[in-house]
Amino acid sequence: MGSSEGLTEWVRRAARGETSAYSELYRRSRPMVARLVAGFAPLDPDEVEDVIQETFVRAFRALPRLKEAGAFEAWLLSIARNRARTRLERKASTRRLEDDVADPEPETVPHIPEALQLERDIEVVRRLIAELPEGEEKRTVQLFYIEGELSAREIAEKLGVGKSAVTMRLERFRSRIKRELLRRVLAGRWE
Amino acid sequence: MKHLDADAMSALSRREPAAVAYFREHLAAPCDTCEAFLATHSGPDLLDGQVDSLLLGVGPTAQKAEDAPLDEVGLARVRRGMKGNRPDIRRWGLVAGAIAASLLAVVVVPRMRAEDPAVQAGTEWDGVKGPAGTIALELAVVARSADGALRRLDPQSAVAESDVLLLRYHATEAGTALLFQQRAGQGPELLGRFPLEAGTHDLEGPQGLAGVSLEGESGPVTLWLVGSAGGQEPSPDAVREVLVGGSAARERSRLAVTRFDVSVRSGQNRR
Repeated sequence: MGSSEGLTEWVRRAARGETSAYSELYRRSRPMVARLVAGFAPLDPDEVEDVIQETFVRAFRALPRLKEAGAFEAWLLSIARNRARTRLERKASTRRLEDDVADPEPETVPHIPEALQLERDIEVVRRLIAELPEGEEKRTVQLFYIEGELSAREIAEKLGVGKSAVTMRLERFRSRIKRELLRRVLAGRWE
Repeated sequence: MKHLDADAMSALSRREPAAVAYFREHLAAPCDTCEAFLATHSGPDLLDGQVDSLLLGVGPTAQKAEDAPLDEVGLARVRRGMKGNRPDIRRWGLVAGAIAASLLAVVVVPRMRAEDPAVQAGTEWDGVKGPAGTIALELAVVARSADGALRRLDPQSAVAESDVLLLRYHATEAGTALLFQQRAGQGPELLGRFPLEAGTHDLEGPQGLAGVSLEGESGPVTLWLVGSAGGQEPSPDAVREVLVGGSAARERSRLAVTRFDVSVRSGQNRR
């Protein structure tokens, strides 16, 4: 989704070097980044904080080169996901220290139109959640995305399942949404 | 039947008509193979960020973000991270702090403020139930050099840019401390918030023992450790005002303010 006009203006001001704009971007964006990273249950609270910090350090360093200010939120969340995945894979020893999930290059991010259809998109997601068969996956998705209060770690405790299981359920559902969105992009939804 | 793979994603990124036409139809129905690929691979373009933005928009997070308070401690960590490839404070602390705990003899630095409750009436932290708590705070500092050696510092000591400063405090009661760093001619910069326990302890937060890296610093540097009794936590901005307000402001506040000054020599020119 494209960033809101308010956020986009702060991105422009930060790119011009206004220090206070970085504070405002951090204030407005941190909850979204923190919520995204909270979906990676195997990361402990310290690791979550590290991922959040690394995300903003990388994003703020590269921000003056960001081609499309309106793409800031999607770009930032892409970085956060990459940082969390890298941390998770290193923790599981499936990725070497020198390897890294590459972040989207700020110079080449595409233009993302204003989120005119955001409400409709959100309704699509709600419908897909409602259509999930009753069970643990649906409950997990509802707790994390709809209610939006508990971290994946806390959901694992609440449901009495392993931390990785919760993250796998969330990622499985997310991949369905990603397929649906990709189809819409290919159908000219954002062209 | 063709499924998503690296080549297909590359073709989609280039908007190749044949690939777009095929996958537009193919992805209209659930496909476990393609969804598994999408779950483990980024893109195309910013699709991952757009998906997460959409999903997070379903719950209350996006609405809350508009009115979210500024996490000053987190922002301070980001600012420090932006200054270069500095070692993470927490990791330095974890490596060095445990050594400090066993070797550090407490060096008491002059305590600048042990507040007089009689002076505090009407200040902005009133409203705590019961009598106002007071706290006295003392600070000791040890430098850990690049080769791992530890040395006790006196105030105004010269230190190397490669040194990490380890802090130990003595508090008369439990509370909270804010740690600031200040360079010559600049305002105090928040480094972190730490719980205080009564007695003598290494400075330790939720993220581990604290160590202050001096990499990238040069010249006079002041560390401020500002303590407040439990339940009277001031905001970082309020503390900053006290610190830049000079001794008069510190006398008026109910904070316990300690400072430690060092002079950082850059490069090989050490001590």
